[in-house]
Order: sequence, then C-alpha cells, then structure tokens
Amino acid sequence: MNPDIILIILVMAAATYGARALPFLLFRNKQMRGFVKSFVELVPVALLAALVIPELFITADNGLELINPFLLAGISTFLLARKLPNLFVCVLFGMIAYWGFAKII
Amino acid sequence: MQKGFLYGLKQSVPIGIGYAPVALTFGILAIQNGLTVMESGLMSLLVFAGASQFIAIQLIGQGATAWIIGVTTLIVNLRHIVMSFSMLRFFPKIGLGKLAIIAHGITDESFVLSSNILQGISTPEERSKVAMGINFGAYFSWVLFSFVGAYIGNVLVINFSGFDFALLALFIVLTVSTVTKDNLPVYILAGFLAIILRLALPGKWYLLLSVIAAAALGSLLRMRKIENAVEEEKSYES
Repeated sequence: MNPDIILIILVMAAATYGARALPFLLFRNKQMRGFVKSFVELVPVALLAALVIPELFITADNGLELINPFLLAGISTFLLARKLPNLFVCVLFGMIAYWGFAKII
Repeated sequence: MQKGFLYGLKQSVPIGIGYAPVALTFGILAIQNGLTVMESGLMSLLVFAGASQFIAIQLIGQGATAWIIGVTTLIVNLRHIVMSFSMLRFFPKIGLGKLAIIAHGITDESFVLSSNILQGISTPEERSKVAMGINFGAYFSWVLFSFVGAYIGNVLVINFSGFDFALLALFIVLTVSTVTKDNLPVYILAGFLAIILRLALPGKWYLLLSVIAAAALGSLLRMRKIENAVEEEKSYES
C-alpha cells in the first residue's frame, strides 16, 4: 500500500470520526431544555425532508421536472407505506416501481 | 420483549440494500483513480462516509495533498456533528465506550432510521444496542461492497435501476411515521429550502444549511407557542 494514500485515509478518518464523536464527548449526560431540546428533536424530520424533496423534483442536469420516475415512484411508495407498515416490503415495492416508471418514461 | 442488536440489524436491511450499488460504484471508481483493492476497502472501513469518499478519490486522481482532502472531508461531514448532537438524547447514562462505537456508524441513513426506531424503545441500554445493530448492518454492506467493487473492477454485473431508488424509498417510508401534524411545517420548510439551496450551492451544503435553518425556526415557533400558552393561563388566573 502507498504511504501517501494511507496518510490521506487516516486524515479523512480523523476528520469524519471527529465530527461524529465530538458532540458525544462534549455533551454527554447534559440535560437539554427549551430551544436546544426542541431543536435536536426537529433535526431528524428536517434532514428527512432535505434528503427526499430535492431528489424527487430536481433532475440530474439541475432542472425541475414534475413528470419523472423519482417523483412518481416516490408518491406510489408513500401511498403504500401509509397502508402497509412494513419497511422492507415498501422499500422493495419502491425499487420495482422506480424501475417500472424509468422504463416507461 | 427486549430489543437488541439483532433487532437493529434486521431493521438495517433496506439501508444495506441501498448502500450496495453505491459502494460497488465507489470500489470501481477507486481502482480507476489509482487506488489498490486494499486501499479502497480500507478507506470504506475507516472513513465510512459516501460523499466524502467519492470526492476524495477524485482529488487523489488529480494529485491533491492529504491536507486538502482532509479539510474537504471535514466540510462535507460537518452535518455529522448536528446528527450526533441530536442522537445524544436517546443515550442518557450510556458509557463513553459504547458511544464511541455508535459514533462511527452515524450516517444520514442510519441517523434517520435510528431516530425513527429509537423513539419507540424505552430504555437507553436497549436503544444503544439497537442503534449498534442498525449501524453495523449499514457499515457491513458499505465495507463489503466497496471491496467487491474494487475487486471486480470494471465489470458491471447488476443492471437493475431499482437500486438507485432504494435509499430514497427508505426515507419516504420513514416519512410516514416521522412526520406529524406538529412537525409538518418544519418538514415542508426544510424541503423547500433544500431545493433552493441545492440549486444555488455546490456539493452537500444544502443538507447542513436547510436542516439547521428549518429546525431552528421550528424550535423558535414552538417556544413562542409554549410562552403564549403560559401567558394565557396567567391571564385566566388573574
């Protein structure tokens, strides 16, 4: 193995692990209240939106497109997931739906 | 019934499926940018962060130094700070050793899934085990398929476009049980901001910025609502 590449990997590992572990190290066993408590509770739902919504509307060439397989498969998956609370089956359905819509469009 | 590591591992299967094609692609590109099979796998083993690994192998191909790649990695992964900070609330009184292991497995996907599942689990001890199971399943898939991708090199064996949708499908299914009447405004705001910021800014900045802005604004509004309710109660009393 090339020592330069190993150094790069170690530096990257330190940067990434640092970002992941620092809050655990600094704020462990601290009680959160008020604004901070509410903020951390809202992070997951905000991240969920930020991960999903752009993918459904923005195409690979940075355009906005309403009739696209991501949005159509997304809506289908959402509708099924409301009826059927099974993570694995719904994900599998979404993958097949996307494959189907991508073939048609 | 007690829920533990195996329960988390089972829940992580959709993430594992979603990671597989991405990790395969990473392995293939790593080889094309001059890394060896061992180096490609080692990077996935020690770094475990998709976006920054793709950027890194591109920079390595261009001959960038370790420091430039390190700083870039840090910037791309700043949002992990917000995610770990948010996860802390699930683990009161959990030892630093366990937290150190959980920390390594925090990704966008494992974080969103854990936040969803851990809410319904009552003890911190069980939560920590379930979180480790979720993280390990995701990690295992990422590392394994990075090695496989690097090993097979340029041979594309799978031609099913459905894999492109696996992680998105997972997020959409989680939306159903995460979004409530109470937090729907935050979801809409974050999604709207994410679209605008993604079109306006390079890379993954849109994730960090839209999450902080939407969660902060939502939190401010919630505080005001509570204050108003308290004041109303006071005015009734007097």
